[in-house]
Amino acid sequence: MNFKYGCEEGDSVESKDFLARLIDIPGVSGYEKEVSKEVSEVFKGYCDDVCIDDFYNVYGRKTRGTIEDKPKIMLAAHIDEIGLMVKDIDDKGFIKFTTIGGVDQRILLSQEVIVYGREPLFGVIGAKPPHLQERGERGTAVKIEDMTIDLGLPPQKVKELVRVGDIITFKSPLVSMQNNFVNGKSLDDRASVAVMLETMKELDKLNFNADVFFVATVQEEVGVRGATISTYGVNPDIGVAIDVTHGDTPDSPKEETNEMNKGPVICIGPNLHPKLSQQLIDVAEDYSLQYQLEVAPGPTGTDARAMQIIRDGIPTLLMEIPLRYMHTTVETLNMDNIEKAGRIIAFFIASMEEGWREWLSY
Amino acid sequence: MKDLLKKLTETYGPSGNEEEIRRVIEEEMHEYVDEIDIDVMGNLIAYKKGNGQGKKVMLSAHMDQIGLIVTHIDDNGFLRFSNVGGISVLNTINGRVIFKNGIMGTVSYEEEIENIKDIKLNRMYIDIGASDREEATEKVSIGDVAVYYSPLAESNGRYIGGAMDNRAGCALLIKTIKELKDCKNDAYFVFTVQEEVGLRGAKTSAYAINPDVGIAVDVTSTGDTPKARTMAVKLGAGPAIKVKDGSVICHPKVKDLMIDRAEDIDIPYQIEVLEWGGTDAGAIHLTREGIPSGAVSIPCRYVHSANEMVDEKDLENGVKLLVKILENEIEL
Repeated sequence: MNFKYGCEEGDSVESKDFLARLIDIPGVSGYEKEVSKEVSEVFKGYCDDVCIDDFYNVYGRKTRGTIEDKPKIMLAAHIDEIGLMVKDIDDKGFIKFTTIGGVDQRILLSQEVIVYGREPLFGVIGAKPPHLQERGERGTAVKIEDMTIDLGLPPQKVKELVRVGDIITFKSPLVSMQNNFVNGKSLDDRASVAVMLETMKELDKLNFNADVFFVATVQEEVGVRGATISTYGVNPDIGVAIDVTHGDTPDSPKEETNEMNKGPVICIGPNLHPKLSQQLIDVAEDYSLQYQLEVAPGPTGTDARAMQIIRDGIPTLLMEIPLRYMHTTVETLNMDNIEKAGRIIAFFIASMEEGWREWLSY
Repeated sequence: MKDLLKKLTETYGPSGNEEEIRRVIEEEMHEYVDEIDIDVMGNLIAYKKGNGQGKKVMLSAHMDQIGLIVTHIDDNGFLRFSNVGGISVLNTINGRVIFKNGIMGTVSYEEEIENIKDIKLNRMYIDIGASDREEATEKVSIGDVAVYYSPLAESNGRYIGGAMDNRAGCALLIKTIKELKDCKNDAYFVFTVQEEVGLRGAKTSAYAINPDVGIAVDVTSTGDTPKARTMAVKLGAGPAIKVKDGSVICHPKVKDLMIDRAEDIDIPYQIEVLEWGGTDAGAIHLTREGIPSGAVSIPCRYVHSANEMVDEKDLENGVKLLVKILENEIEL
C-alpha cells in the first residue's frame, strides 16, 4: 500500500449527492479507473490518507486512539458495476455484445446504453416492433445473442469509433422517489460506498481506538477479485464487507428478502465470524440502532466470501442494505438505511477497546 | 515451427503427469536461458536475465493436456474412466487414445444406448484389446491416464493435432526464448502444470516469482466456422490480445501495451473477448496483492478435441509480438 496523498479537510459531502455523481461514472468490472478517482477525491476529505492500487482499489485510512494494540479493521464495498462489452460489429454497424457480471437478459430490450469507444457514444438496445413480429414471437424471450446496439451511425463510422472489447454501461441516473427512496443503476454496490462515507462522518464524532481502512473494491461482480487482492495487501485483524441484499417485493419469497423500512441488515452464517457478529448485534442493541437479521447458509455472494479466507483467515462481518430489483437499472433503496448502517459500523468500531482480541477467539 | 510443434504435441503430458513433456521442453530451450528450476508442483521455470532496469515479467504457458483417467478395469478387460480436464463425450467417441507406456486403445460406449444424448462418460470405456482383466492389468493400472492419440498433420499452412491446447503456446514461448536478443526485462518463462484442472500450477508459480506483470500464452476459440457462436476471432488473422475470459478481465494497461507493441511491428492482431473458459492469467492476476496481467492467445479451432487446428502465421506473429514486448520497456 503506497499512500501518497496527504489529506486536507474537505467540504462535507451528502450521501445522496455523492451517489448521484457516482452512479453516472462508468465502472464496469475491470474498468473502474474513473469511478476510483471520484471515490478517492471524496475519501480525501474524510481520511488521513488515501491511495489507489494497480487494480484501482481505493484505500482510505483513518487511525485514532491511544491503546497500544489497536485493531486493524478493513471495510470493503465494491465500486464495480455489471455491464456489457462489445463482442462484434456487424456489416450494418449494429453492435453485438456480451455481459460482464450477472446481467439479466430479460431487462435488456429498449435500454439506453453508453458505449465507451474512442468517445462515449449513446445507443439503444432495440426491440422488434409488435407490428413486425411473427405469430407467437411475443410470447418468447429474445435471446441476448439476437440483440444488438444501435448507435445511429453508419457502419464505417462505428468501426472507426468502436472496437471489440469496449465497455458499455446502462444509462440510468439517480432518481429521487417518495419517502427518501431512490432508484438507479449500480446502487449495487455504490450505495455501500456511501455507507463507508457515513461511517467516516460518524467516526469523526466519536472516540475510537483503531486503524481503519476503507476499501472501495473492484471486480466483485466477476468473482470478488478486488477484495481478494486488497485484503491480502491490508492484512486486517477484522474485515467488514458492506453490500446490498434483497428488499421485499410482491413476487419474491419472504424468507429471502428484507423490509425496506426496518433498518440495515446484519448477515449471520458460516461466512461470518460468530462472536464478532454477536458483538455487532450487541452494539446495535445497546445504542438502540435499528437493524434486521439475515441468514446466509453458505459463502455469501459478497466480498466477505473472499475476505474470510485470505492468508491465515480474517474474522469477517457483513452489513447489508436492503435493495429491490437487484441487477436492473431501477435498483431501489431507502436512503435512511445507508445512514443507519454507517452509524452501526462506526459504533462497532468505537466499541473496540483493550482486550478486543478476546472477541476473535473461540 | 512444424518440427517443434510435432515434437511437443506428440509428447505425453496430461495434468498431474507432466514429466515427459517437461523433459522435452527443458531439452529444447535450456541452452538459451540463465537458470532453470522445477518447483514442487512440477512447474518448469526458465529465467532469462534482463538488463537490470526492466520489469519482472512472468510468461506462462501451460504444458499439461486433458486426458482420460482409468477408474475401473472390468472382468473382460475393458477400462472405465473419468475425465482429467474438459473431456467431452462428443470429442471422444470412437477416438484413439494412448497411455504413457505407449499402450493404445479406442474409446466406445455401451451398445444398448440408442440416443447419442444419453451417452455420458461413465457409460463409455477404453478398449485396449485385452481379452480379460488379467491381461489388461499387465498393461494398465487404475489411475493411469490416457490422452488422445493424434499425430501432427499439416494442411494449407495450418496444423492439425492433439494438445495444441497448449503445446502451441509452449512452442510460442520456446521460440520467444530462442529469438530474444536484447531482453530489457527480467523474464520468467513458466511452463505450468495443471491448468486444465483449475489454473493450479500458475497459482503457485506466480506466488513464488511475484512478478510485476503476468502474461499468459494459451489457445483461444474462434468464431469463423459454420454456424459458430459469435466471436470476432478468426484463424490466420493474427495472434489475439485477450480482453477477458471466464477467469480474468485483463488489465486495460497490459492489453493496451500489447496492442501498441503489435502496431509497432505492424503484425496482424485481433482482440479477443472469450465468453467462457479460463487461462493462467486468471490465477496470476489474483496472486498476493494483485499482478496486472494479460494474455496473448493463439486462435484455435476445435479446442479440446483430438484434432485442434492452428495457423502457422498466427504462431509466427505471436512470437514476434512476445519478443517485442520483452525487448521494450514495460510502462504501466
